[in-house]
This record gives sequence, structure tokens and C-alpha cells, in this order.
Amino acid sequence: MEINKKYRSNSRKFILSTLILSVLVILPIVALIISTINIDTSNFKYLWNNLLFDYSFDTIYLVLITSFFSLIFGILPAWYISTNNFTGKNIYDILLYLPLAIPVYIMAFTYSDVLSYTGPMQSFVRNHFPEYASLLNQDYLQIEILGIIMALALYPYIYTACRLSFSLVGANYIDLSRSLGMSRTKTFYKIVIPLSRVSIFSGLFLVIMEVLNEYGAVKYFGVNTFTSGIFRSWYSMQDVETASLLAVFLFFVVVIFFFLERFFNSRYNFHYKPNTKKFKTENPSSIKKTIIHFACIIPVIFGFVIPTLFILGNVIYEFERIDFYKVVNLTSNTFIISLIASSIIIMIAVYFQFLKRIIKNKTLTFFNEAISLTYALPGAVIGLSLIILFSSLPFKSELLIGSFIVLVYAYVMRYMAVGISPLKSSFEKHPSSYDDTAVNLGMGPFKLFKSIHLPINKSAIAIAFLITFVDIIKELPITLILRPFNFDTLAVQTYEYAIEEMIPKSSIYSLTIVMMGTILLIFLKKIINKEIDVSKS
Amino acid sequence: MKKLFYILFSLILGSCSSVNKNTNEINIYSQRHYNVDEIQYQNFEKLTGIKVNVTKANADELIQRMKNEGENSPADLFITVDVGKLWQGGEMGLFQKFQDESVFANIDPQLLDKNGYWVPVTYRSRVIVYSNQRVEKNELSTYEDLSNEKWKGRLLVRSSSNAYNQALMSSLVENLGTENTTKWSEGVVSNFARDPKGSDRDQVKAIAAGQGDIAIVNSYYIGLLLSSSKDEEINAGNAVSVFFPNQADNERGAHINISGLTLTKNAPNRENAIKLIQYLTSIEAQKTYVSNSYEYSVNPDVKPDEIVQSWGEFKKDPVDLNSLGTNRSEAIRIFDKTGWK
Repeated sequence: MEINKKYRSNSRKFILSTLILSVLVILPIVALIISTINIDTSNFKYLWNNLLFDYSFDTIYLVLITSFFSLIFGILPAWYISTNNFTGKNIYDILLYLPLAIPVYIMAFTYSDVLSYTGPMQSFVRNHFPEYASLLNQDYLQIEILGIIMALALYPYIYTACRLSFSLVGANYIDLSRSLGMSRTKTFYKIVIPLSRVSIFSGLFLVIMEVLNEYGAVKYFGVNTFTSGIFRSWYSMQDVETASLLAVFLFFVVVIFFFLERFFNSRYNFHYKPNTKKFKTENPSSIKKTIIHFACIIPVIFGFVIPTLFILGNVIYEFERIDFYKVVNLTSNTFIISLIASSIIIMIAVYFQFLKRIIKNKTLTFFNEAISLTYALPGAVIGLSLIILFSSLPFKSELLIGSFIVLVYAYVMRYMAVGISPLKSSFEKHPSSYDDTAVNLGMGPFKLFKSIHLPINKSAIAIAFLITFVDIIKELPITLILRPFNFDTLAVQTYEYAIEEMIPKSSIYSLTIVMMGTILLIFLKKIINKEIDVSKS
Repeated sequence: MKKLFYILFSLILGSCSSVNKNTNEINIYSQRHYNVDEIQYQNFEKLTGIKVNVTKANADELIQRMKNEGENSPADLFITVDVGKLWQGGEMGLFQKFQDESVFANIDPQLLDKNGYWVPVTYRSRVIVYSNQRVEKNELSTYEDLSNEKWKGRLLVRSSSNAYNQALMSSLVENLGTENTTKWSEGVVSNFARDPKGSDRDQVKAIAAGQGDIAIVNSYYIGLLLSSSKDEEINAGNAVSVFFPNQADNERGAHINISGLTLTKNAPNRENAIKLIQYLTSIEAQKTYVSNSYEYSVNPDVKPDEIVQSWGEFKKDPVDLNSLGTNRSEAIRIFDKTGWK
């Protein structure tokens, strides 16, 4: 056919363009890998023999705790809200997203302060109920507590994925399962969870990546993860090559897991028809209602209300000493740089997803997956990889280190996965008959994108943009290492005070991050709900 | 869509112009992120009209940045809170010696770099603090004594990834040798009240909470706690006292570390950088440091803050401060070997 020929002749150009874009995203990692060739491996062997076993053990343990609690905090409320009627349901549905507005390190610093001996909880009990004071006087800086705190900050990735996915499963399968005599709980485990497996995993993937590359909070809690090993060799042993080697090693471990998961999950690639009829929402019994409220309110209170109130309390306390000019200045810095970076990420991600649909090509699919994997690298290592890259290019590119271009480049590299994740499920969801019909109607690729894929994936694009935006607002390690002179963001300022243990002084900046995030997430929630409603109607 | 793209593109291009060629400025890579530094730079700007540009990050990251930027690095000055990093950057050939000795004029000679690469701006001691309730002052004596069995389950300290601990261990390697220091570290680890974690202030709070009796911390954190705006923190600060170890006549004195700065190899604004160093070591700026950060002044004519004065004067370990860098890798191995997390 004429039209198909036209597509084919275009496809080379398309593939070339994606190759160039992917190479740009992956290039810094390549530079990092090259820098580790021919290194003196004595420090690597030393770390391997002395520390990496303990570090790996702590890493796995922390990943397990955080994953376990993130799944509980994410899946249960999503399931109850999707299938039950109860008062407060809509408010919970907003509030459950909001912990995403609080960066992990702020959550950790806040809780260690709230729980500490001089913190509000213990001093209150000490002053009013001294007989119970010794009960609360514990060492709270423990790996288990850190895992729960991280889960409180990260579970919304899973909640978001589940809300969208559960609504797509639709009622037909559930009705069928019920009429075959399965209980509601059994239906949940046997039907809903397997059908949502891919999206739950994509949320869990983000959670695990965040745990793997967290450094500040784990260090504070005295926990040593694999990332601690990277920084042990960089900061303590002053051996940046070994640090790079460990980062590359971590990267490949993640890559292997990533593809293994793809391999096993591809068997579960159900082609269910999403637009089935609406869930029959149940009116739960009063016992069940209590359970539901409990499941919804725990993550909200501990993940959002307590930390936000604590931060707010500090802001009020510090109010007279706040430099509002600085707050406005840093807010606009943060806003502009996040806007630029997340826009670029979304443009690239959309372009890739669209091409993946219209051109079935293995190389393309491979690169499409590969550009998500940069999320596995700790931010500081991404910063390092860009410094290495820009200082090794032939032209005087080292002049660009510390410019906005390199900073934005680093953000794009780091957060590509966050942007791709929601787009991917949306672009894959729509039947390919749409494309065939359009092609038969003589639409060129740009027309096809503009009049079909852009409108039907509009919500997913908005979701991807907002989530990326919120993540970049919170970004810390890359900004610290690559930012231009005199350029501070809210996250940087929060960190600088927090690390000097001036939590009250840091609070106005963290509160601004939380407020910006909250506003964006409320937008996000509205779009997601529209999406859920559309698929039900 | 296209419009959005053009807008973004022009914004990015516009941002490149931030690399400006204004000569009346100075560029600093700094590890220090204390409020007091901002005050110092503002005062300097007012006095001289020279604009101070700062990028603050971790010292090792900044060292990598300077190394990779090579001779095109915009940095004039590098500031750290650990002399070990100054020594390391010097080893990597990133810095230049001071030609003009006038920058050393205001500084206590004991604190100076024997090789002439760096200038200290403040110093601090890593001291022992003890519970006023459960420990008598005369039970304490030296760092060496912290490995004594009598402290079993009572000693608190943060993790070995902290540069202040690494510097302390390096000084012990210099003074006692590797073998003795390893034995010492084994004893210390077996005395831990809990796994190393938290910050220096958290160790003090843990003493107040009764989780341990003595802790190794930097002196200025006690000043910061006592001057806190929160009563609970002041109470925690008051629950402990400061003890300077190794003060007897035949002993070497308490371990100190400096916060210092150095001139980068290709400093494009060298003259301005020297002016800033002269300003930061002047009596006026030194007074600003001591009253805001509770550190000690490198200028013998400037007295510490009143809170700090109340702990009394102390004898400083006269070891060559560069040895806190040269012994660093040995120190790390001792930490790892003896299980100091």
C-alpha cells in the first residue's frame, strides 16, 4: 500500500532520531563506564571483602521493609476506594497522593526530630505524664523505622498505579469471579492483583529505585546500603573510580532485575478490554467500614498530616525571622528549572512512546526501555557522570559544567523513567486498530499524533508531566553538585539548614516545596479521576 | 507545541549567558553552608564592591568538579571544614602556594600549613562530653582511655563516614601508630552504647535521654544547643559538660581540625581572592565567626564566644594538620577492620 510505504520511508528517520536522543540520555553512563576501565581494583576488592556483604544485606532488608509497607499503604486504600462507598472517600482520595509532595530526606529528618528525646512527643509526655516517659524514650534511628518512613513518602507511586489499574480491570471479571463462587477477598488476590501486576510493579520499581539511591536519610539512620558503599569509596577513601565502578555495578544489577521482570511479566500481558462497565461499589458493613477508614487514614496521617503540621509549627515559630524575598526568589528558581526540565522530559517521552506504537522495531523498543534505567543511579553519580562527560569532550565543553544546560541535562537523564512510566501504560492501552484505521484514512504520522494520540493520551501526558515536575522540585544531590554560582533551589536551602540541624529555619523552604507539590498533586488527582471515570463510562 | 519548544529553547540559551566575564568578582567552591558565611560575604561586598559568587556542595564533589574542569575552572577559592580535603586537593595538584605571606599575618602559627597551600579561617576541637548526672569529671582523661572497659555500653559517637571522626582517627594514627590505634578502635567499638548513627547533636541528646553516658562531638555543637531557641534543646545541652582530653602536662592536647581555604591553581580572580582571605582572617570577620558559629578564632587576638569561654582554655594537639589527610586511608581501614560502622 502507498501509505505504508510512506511510513516505512519515514521510519528510518524516526529511528535515527530516537537513537540520537537515547544516546544523549545514556552517554553520561557510557562516560562513567569508560572511566572505570583499567582502574586499580585494590579498593574494589577491599570493599568487596570487608563491607559489601553487610551493605548488600542492609540494602535488601531496607528494600523489603519499604516495599512491604509501600504496598500495604498503596494497594489497600486504592482497592477500598475503588470498590466501596463510604463517607470521606473523595477526601481520602486526594490526601492519599499528598505524601509525594514531601521529599524522603525531609520526611526522615522530620520524623527523627518528632520522635527524638527533645522532640514534641517525648517532651509532652515527660511534662504531663512523667510515669510513661520511659516507655517512649527509645532509640528511634533504626532500619525498620527508616523503612516505614520511606514507605510513607513513597507509597503514592503504588497508590497512583493501583487507582488507574483497578479502574481498568472493570467489573466484568469481578462479577464473573463472584458468580463462580469466589469470595471478594479471593477475587482480589486471584483476579485483581494479577491483572494489575504490571502497573503495581512499575510503581514498586520507582519505590525501589528511590530506596537504592537515597543517601542522606540512610546515613543519618546509621544504615549502610549499597549506595553508602559508593560514597564510602568516593568521600572516605577518596577513590572516585571505584565509586564509579560500584555505581556501574549497581546499575547493571538493576538492569538485570528490570529485564527479568519484563521477561516473567510478559506472560501476564493480558489483553483485557478496559472499557467494561463500572464497578459496583459496595456499601460496607460497619466493621468493614472501620477497617477501611483505618487503612486510609494511617498513611494520610503519618505520611502527610503529621510531617506537614510539624513543619508548619516550625514556620509559625520562626515567622518573624523569615526572609520572604529569599523564599520568593528560590521558589521562582525551583519553578522555572523544574518546568523546563519536565517539559523536555515529557516531549522526549511522548515522542518515544508514539514512535514505539507506529513503528514496531526491536532496537527502538530496547532503547525505549534503556532510557528509563538511568533512574537506578544515585543523583550524585549522575552529577559525576556529567562532569566526566563534559570534561572529556573535545571542544571546551568543561566550560558548560555549572551551567543551566548541564543541570537540565542531568534532570532529564535522572527523571526520564518517572515521565515514561504513566505514558507507557496509556499508550499501550489503546488498541492498535486505531492506528490502522487512521493510516487507511491516509493520515501521516504527524496528523495521526495530533488528532488521535495527543487527545486520547492527554490525561496520561498531564499525569506524567505533573509527577515529573513534583519530583524535580524535590531534587537535591544533582542540584548541589551541578548548579551554577549563586543558584539555590528550595530543596538545596532546606538541606543546608537541615544538615546543620537547624530544622526550624529550614521549615519555610520545605513547607514551600510541600505546598507547591500539594497544589500540583491536586491537579494530578483531578486528571486521574477524570481518566478513571472515562474508563468506567 | 512548537511555540512552547521555542520558548524553552530560548530560555535555555539565555541561561548560558550566566557565564559572565565581570572581573570585579570572586568565585568560591565551598563546603561550608553556615549562615555566618553569607554574612561575611555580604560584609566583604559592601566593603570592597567585589561580588562574591558561591557554589556550595560536598567537598569531594567539588574536588572532582575542579579536577575535571581543569584550567578552565571558574573557581578562585575552595573552602572546606576538614583539613584532610585541603591536603587531598593539594596532592591532586589543584591548588597553588601563597606567594604573598601577608595572608598568614593574623594567624596563630601552630595552625598554619607547613607547605603554604592553605589558610585556616576557624578551628574546632573534637571533645568528649559527659553526663552531669552519671559521670564524674575525674573519671575522664584521654582519647586513649575511651577504649577502657569501664565505658562498656556507655560511649556514643556518630558513624565513621563522618569526616570529623576520620580526622580524629588520622590524628591517632599519627600519634600512636597503626597497631595501637587499631587496638584502641577495637576497644572503643566494644564500648559503644549503640550502633553509630545520627549527628553530633543527636549524641548529646542521647546522653540527655540516658542512652549513653559520654560522647565524642565537635565543640561548637554544644554552643549551638545552648543557644537554641528551644527550651528542650537547651536542657539537653545543660545535661552535659565539655571535657578537653589529653590535657595533662605530659600529654599532647585535644584534637583539633580547621575550616580552611585555598587558592585554586588557575584562580582567574587571584587578587580579589587574596583580599577576601585577608578580610576573613581580620579581627572584624573573626569576631563574626566566633559569635555566630561557636568555633574558635585562628587569630590569637580574638576571644571565643562567652559560652565557649566558659569551658576554659585548652592545649591543642600540635600534630602537623596535613597528617589528618595523609593518614586518612589508614584511618578508614581501621574503622572497617574494627567494625566501626
